[in-house]
Parts: sequence; C-alpha cells; structure tokens
Amino acid sequence: MTKKIFRNCLAVGIWVFLLSVALFMGMLYQYFTGRLTTELENEAALVAQGVETMGMDYLEGLRASNRITWVDQDGTVLYDNTADAATMENHGDREEIREAMLGSQGTARRESATLSQRTVYVAQRLEDGTVIRLAGQQHTVVRLLLSMVQPMLLILAVTLVFTAVLSTRLSRGIIRPVLELDLEHPEENGGVYDELSPLLTRIRRQNDTIQSQIELLRRRRQEFTALTENMSEGFLLLDQKGRVLSYNTGALKLLGAQPPAEEANVLTLDRSDPFRQVVSQVLEGRRCQGRLERNGRSLQLLADPVFRDDACAGAVLVLLDVTEKEQGEQMRREFTANVSHELKTPLTSISGMAEIMKDGLVRAEDIQGFAADIYKESQRLIHLVEDIIHLSRLDEGGADLEKKEVDLLELARTVQERLRPTAGQSGVELEVSGEHQTISGIPSVVEEMIYNLLDNAIKYNRPGGKAAVTVSGAPDGVVVTVSDTGIGIPLEDQNRVFERFYRVDKSHSKEIGGTGLGLSIVKHAAALHNAQVELNSTPGQGTTVRLCFPK
Amino acid sequence: MRNRFHEQLEQLNVELIEMGALCEEAISAATKAYLEGDRQLGSRAAYLEQEIDHKERDIEGQCMKLLLRQQPVASDLRAVSAAMRMISDMERIGDQASDIAEIARDMKRSGVIEEVPMGEMARAAIGMVTDSVDAFVRSDLKLAHAVIARDDELDGLFLTVREKLTDLIAQRRDGGLCLDLLMVAKYFERIGDHACNIAQWVEYAITGEYEED
Repeated sequence: MTKKIFRNCLAVGIWVFLLSVALFMGMLYQYFTGRLTTELENEAALVAQGVETMGMDYLEGLRASNRITWVDQDGTVLYDNTADAATMENHGDREEIREAMLGSQGTARRESATLSQRTVYVAQRLEDGTVIRLAGQQHTVVRLLLSMVQPMLLILAVTLVFTAVLSTRLSRGIIRPVLELDLEHPEENGGVYDELSPLLTRIRRQNDTIQSQIELLRRRRQEFTALTENMSEGFLLLDQKGRVLSYNTGALKLLGAQPPAEEANVLTLDRSDPFRQVVSQVLEGRRCQGRLERNGRSLQLLADPVFRDDACAGAVLVLLDVTEKEQGEQMRREFTANVSHELKTPLTSISGMAEIMKDGLVRAEDIQGFAADIYKESQRLIHLVEDIIHLSRLDEGGADLEKKEVDLLELARTVQERLRPTAGQSGVELEVSGEHQTISGIPSVVEEMIYNLLDNAIKYNRPGGKAAVTVSGAPDGVVVTVSDTGIGIPLEDQNRVFERFYRVDKSHSKEIGGTGLGLSIVKHAAALHNAQVELNSTPGQGTTVRLCFPK
Repeated sequence: MRNRFHEQLEQLNVELIEMGALCEEAISAATKAYLEGDRQLGSRAAYLEQEIDHKERDIEGQCMKLLLRQQPVASDLRAVSAAMRMISDMERIGDQASDIAEIARDMKRSGVIEEVPMGEMARAAIGMVTDSVDAFVRSDLKLAHAVIARDDELDGLFLTVREKLTDLIAQRRDGGLCLDLLMVAKYFERIGDHACNIAQWVEYAITGEYEED
C-alpha cells in the first residue's frame, strides 16, 4: 500500500512537471513570436522611412542584423542585403508582399524544411508602391526546448527528490494509523478513517464468532475428556494413519504405557503382535477384537473402524480389563465340575449299595452295615447341599439375614461344645481363651465361620495335637485367632485353599471328610462382615488363621 | 513436498517399531524354546527371523528412497542414517534368536540346563532389547543411556555362566551340552551388545553424537 501511494504520488509529480513544461513552452513561444513580429514591424517602419527619404543609398549604408529586401511594384527584387538582387526570382506572389501591396503592411511565417527554424516576414509598402520586407529568424519549439534541457533536467531532478521525500512521508502518514489498528478490539480504534469502520465492525463480529466457537469447542472437549477419563475402560481414537488423536489415562494404565507424543503412532503405546494385528485390521476397515496379556492382567481389545464418506477415516479402540471376568468364568466352570463330581461320588456309593441290596445279594446280617454306609453317604450329601445353599446365600450378600450384637467369646465356647465329640475322637485338645468382645454380625454366619475354622484345625491335626481359639481386642477391631499344631499347608497352596472344592491333599480327602467348601464359606462370610482373613502356615508345624473384624 | 517427506519419515518410524517388536518376539520365543524345550516356539523364532530379514530390506529400501529423493538434512538426515544402522543390529538380533532356537531344538536336554543361570541372561537380554526399542519409540535419551549401562551387567552374567560351564566340564558332565550352552550364552551376550548399539543409534539420532565403545 505504501508503495502504491508512493508510486502514484511520484507519477503525479512527473505529470505536473511535464504539463507545466509544455504549457510554459507554448506560452513562451507565443510571446517570443509576438515580440519578434513587433520588433520587425518597428524596424520595417524605420527602414521604410529611410528608403523614402534617401532611396537605395540608405539601404546600402545600413548595417542591419535582419534580412532586408526591397521589392518593386511588379515583384522584382530591387535590393537584398544577404543575396545578389539580380539573381533572385520574382517575389510578387509571396504572401506578406501581396498583403502589403493590398494594404500597407503584411506578415507571414514560414517553417524551414528542417523545422528547426521559422522565419517571420514583415512587409511595408512605401509611398511609391514598392515594398520593404524584413525577415527575422526564430528558433522553433524543439530548438527552444533543446536549449533549455539543462536547467529543465535540474528542475526535474529537484522535483523528483522533493516528490519522493514528500510522497514517502505522505504514504507513511496515511498507512500508519492502519498499521496501528488494534485488531483484537477493532471498535476501540475510534476515528482512524471513517472508510475503515465497516471493515472494523465486520472484524469485531467475526472475532466474537470465533471466540464463541472456541469456547464451544473447549467445552465439548472438556465434556469429552470428562467422559473418557471417568470410564474404567481404556479408550483410544486413531486417525487413518494410526496416529493417536485422543486417549484416556485408563488406556495408558491398562497398556502400561507412557503418554504418547503429539501425533505419535499408536504402536508407540504397544507393539505386541496381537495389538499390531488388531490395529492393522481395523485401519483396513474391519471391526475386530483381540486379547492381550499386560502386567499379569488379561485385556480385551475391541476395535471399530470409523467411516467417513465410505472411507475408513480412523478407528476407535476400547480396552477392557477382563481378568476378573475370566477368573470368574474359570471358577464357575471349575465349581460346576466340582459340584457334579462331589454330588456324584456319594450318590454312586448309595446307588451301588442299594442295587446290591435290591438284587438280594446281601446277607441279612450285613444289611445294617450297608444301611449305615448309605446313611453316612446321604448325610455327606446333605452336608454338601447345605454348604452349597449356604455359600450361594452368602454369595447373594446374605440380604435376608439380620445383624445383631454378637459376643465372639461366647460364640467360640458354643462352637467348642459342638466340636468336643469330634475333637475327642481325633485326640485333639480344644482351648478357647481371650476376652469378651462384641461385634455387629449375623450370629449363625459368624458361628459357622468359627466352626469351619476349628473343624479344620481338628481335622488337619495329629493325635495329641492342640487347637486353640483366641478372642482379643485390637485398636481397630476384634481379632479371632484359630491356631492348630497340625500338618500345615504348603506355601504354594496357601493362596488356593479359599477356593471352592480346593483340597491340598486330594487323595485323602474322602478319609478326612468335609466338602471342600469350608474355607470358601469362611471367606465369603468374612467379606459379608467386612472382615479380613489372614492365613499363616508352616508345613508340619501348624496353621494360624486370623479373622479381623472391624469395630 | 515437505509434508510427504514427514509422512514417509513417520512411516519409517512405524516400520522400525514393528521390526523392533518382531525382534522382541523372536528372542522371547527363542528363550521359551530354550527354557521349556518347546519345538513349536523354536520354529516360530525361525519364521520371525525371516520376517525380520524382509523388514530389514523393506526399511533399507525406504531409507535409500528418502535419502535420494528428499535429500534430508540435519536431524532428519540423522534419523534416516540411524535407522539404517539400527536395522542391521535388529537383523543380527533376529539371527541370533533363531540360532538360539536352533541349538535349543537340537540339544539333548538334561539337568545341566537347570544349573546354569541362563534364564537370568535371557531376561536381561530381552529387557535390554525392549528398553532399546522403547528408547527409540519415545526418543528417551535417559532410557538409551540406561540400556548402554546395562551391557556390563549382561557381560558379567556371561562370565558367571562361563565359569559355571567350565566347572561342569571339569566334572565331566555333558561336555557337548555345556558347549551348546556356552554358545547360547554367547548369543545372549551378543544380543545385549546389539541392543546397546541400537541405544547408541537412538542417542545419535537425538543428539547427533555417537559414542564409540
């Protein structure tokens, strides 16, 4: 803009200069022509007077700068001061002479062939009818111009310098307010140029629109982040080249990855084979899923392509932690298999013995023994079904059971009484000690817990061993400790004994009895009371189980 | 034009990550084949080795194209040249993994295997490869330095294994197997060296300085 203004100003300067030169030259030329003509007329009048009084002598004695010609009435040249009159042709048809013969004076102008000169002729008629003619040389405009070139160039140079300086200043002056416009607050630039105000208003309006749209986008983004950050699943959004557009911390946590750089490829988060396959498939536009193992957890990877205009524009990956689900499924499968097995074993015995009896293969005196066996097996079956029912009730959260104040020491004593006969048979000494401590709990469930633990302490003991229950208060609750001097549990089994139907010594489980659900019931019952179960065991020395009930 | 160049660089990075992942898989398959005597995993390692070779040629071609057509300068040039060096190290890792798998396939397994702390060497080597690829993926200079520092640990382990094997040979127990195990140990040690090289190239790509060892 500055440049354009500068150039225009300069052009105006040059044009003004040229026009004024032309005008000036024209006027100057006119003036010179007029001056010359007047001079010639005066001189012609003088010469005419001289010739009238003195005749040819005057002319010959005259020393004149201009050309003087004396023409006779018939046009023959009588005298010329620059040429020989005798050789000159008849001048009667010359314009100025004819004019002078008709009137008393005549003027004419003639250009020379080269145009560089112009001759002005003035003719004066004498009394006797002859004509005196004076001719004056005048330079033409071109010559005049050429003769003035030097000063004109000087003037031109000065003009140019002046115009340049002035136009620079001018253009800067015009531009400066425009440059200093505060486009952030367009309408506060009061009184710069009126012509700019529609533009500024427009800018202000667009600024407002942009601001509100940015605000809207920011809010959308926040909502989106809040949404994805608060889901426990991992979330990844990819573009069609596999760059990460968006992710949540859940995804990083599940993959055990660090935050990716801006526009980094998704393979920087994880590059395992299943992950790569899922990514490459989904970017080809096929939805697919995969399974990953990360930090000991099982992850399910769901990938859906995102289509835009019928082309794959990216993909959404969702990561789910399915460890618990898989474990749960595994446990359910095992449980079903175990339950059917455990139910079938006594039933097979019962059915077998009943069959023999039915076929009359049993002697009358043996029937009682068989009946006792059948009774024992059916009792086992009943226990098993009772335990399963119990467990499923605990699984459902024991909603139908009411909590009340329970004295744990009293409860332990009751259990001790119930188990005295069993202990007697196994030759195990029972001991209950400690202080009276109460918790809020479901009496039957808590009793069952202590019963199961003490029962185990007796069952997995050796003759002459000891099983003890201690109730004591702790700063944050009540602790019931059941310890024995029995066979203990090997380290590798300690984590699994709380699983349903898990038996450390599978081959002797039938002799020992029990359903394999005891500790499982303890675990679930403890969970119902928000209690912690701790197991400490040294093989060959004994096992200690601590139940920590919160206050 | 420049955009296209950056896209190609990005593509190169992705392929390098994939090649690194293949290496990790190959060496963990080889290790498992060695520790558990799993023949299927052994052939998987051999298959991965071929994949790695293919990848190396692919990446090499890409690098040449980038160098010739785009004539990168400064850090871009460093990235491309570091990539060219890295792939040859990765390719060597793949070779050594398949060599380990081959030895594991042919050796006669015996109690000696349990006595040699090869598992530790394998873990250290796998850890170094994983970390060197991670260092590349994340342009993590600190991790690259950590990998370079861990090379001594692996060298120490190699010496321990060698001593153990010398003892076993002196006791005249399974001399042939001991030699096989020495080879395996050496391969793991070499894998560690290559991981270390990769880490040095990562450092070069980031800082422009290459540390000679």
